[in-house]
Amino acid sequence: MEVEKTFGPVDIAISGLRAQGKQMEVISSNVANARTVDAGKGEPYRRREATFTSEDELGGVKLDKIVTDMSDFLRVMDPGNPLADKAGYVAMPNVNLPVEMMNLNIATRVYQANVAVLKRYQQMVEATLELLR
Amino acid sequence: MADPNTTISGLMSSTQGLRGPGSLRPGNADAIGTSKAAASDDKKTGFADAIKDYISKVDDLQQSSDTSIQDLLSGKSEDIASVVSAAAKADMSFKLLVGVRNKLIEAYKQTMNMPL
Repeated sequence: MEVEKTFGPVDIAISGLRAQGKQMEVISSNVANARTVDAGKGEPYRRREATFTSEDELGGVKLDKIVTDMSDFLRVMDPGNPLADKAGYVAMPNVNLPVEMMNLNIATRVYQANVAVLKRYQQMVEATLELLR
Repeated sequence: MADPNTTISGLMSSTQGLRGPGSLRPGNADAIGTSKAAASDDKKTGFADAIKDYISKVDDLQQSSDTSIQDLLSGKSEDIASVVSAAAKADMSFKLLVGVRNKLIEAYKQTMNMPL
């Protein structure tokens, strides 16, 4: 039994945990900036999204890149706002809170699933070691 | 690592080399080295070496688990996943080592209690 091979499922599950942790980071950034009208470059905050790739044929997942969502900004009527244009509209970030909540749920569930895989694998190894007794 | 079959077949030859149950502990890897020196045939050294190698691997995993926990507690790293991974690996490999050790001692006791 080679030590590295035995721990394959452990490493893969841990990579899943890391990936979903990163996903959480992206989601929390989107939620925190849901009302950020000026993100620095003269335009509102653009929604971010994390993309993942698989490491090998049978391997873990890793973060590919964090891309920005180029869909249109939400335009809100607010003539009193200093950032409003001539027609009285203010551009708001393209963050859709219900969508973020759904992604948050998915990320949580996938994280839990990876924890479950890790736990089950440990149980499997322990069950095998029971045979030694 | 040795599978149970070779473990059991190796027991007969390797129990000779062991001085007693206390000599098979991670911190006392040299005791197994002496059994290797005392060994006369290849089978004996093979099993003793396998155990010795595995003990040092388990020791490495335990130490990396310790350092990752220390790094987390001292604030050097904030990666909980790596701590969990190191602890799971150390735990699983140590359990296997304990299983093999128990089997070995059981065989030793059986041999010593054999009515002659």
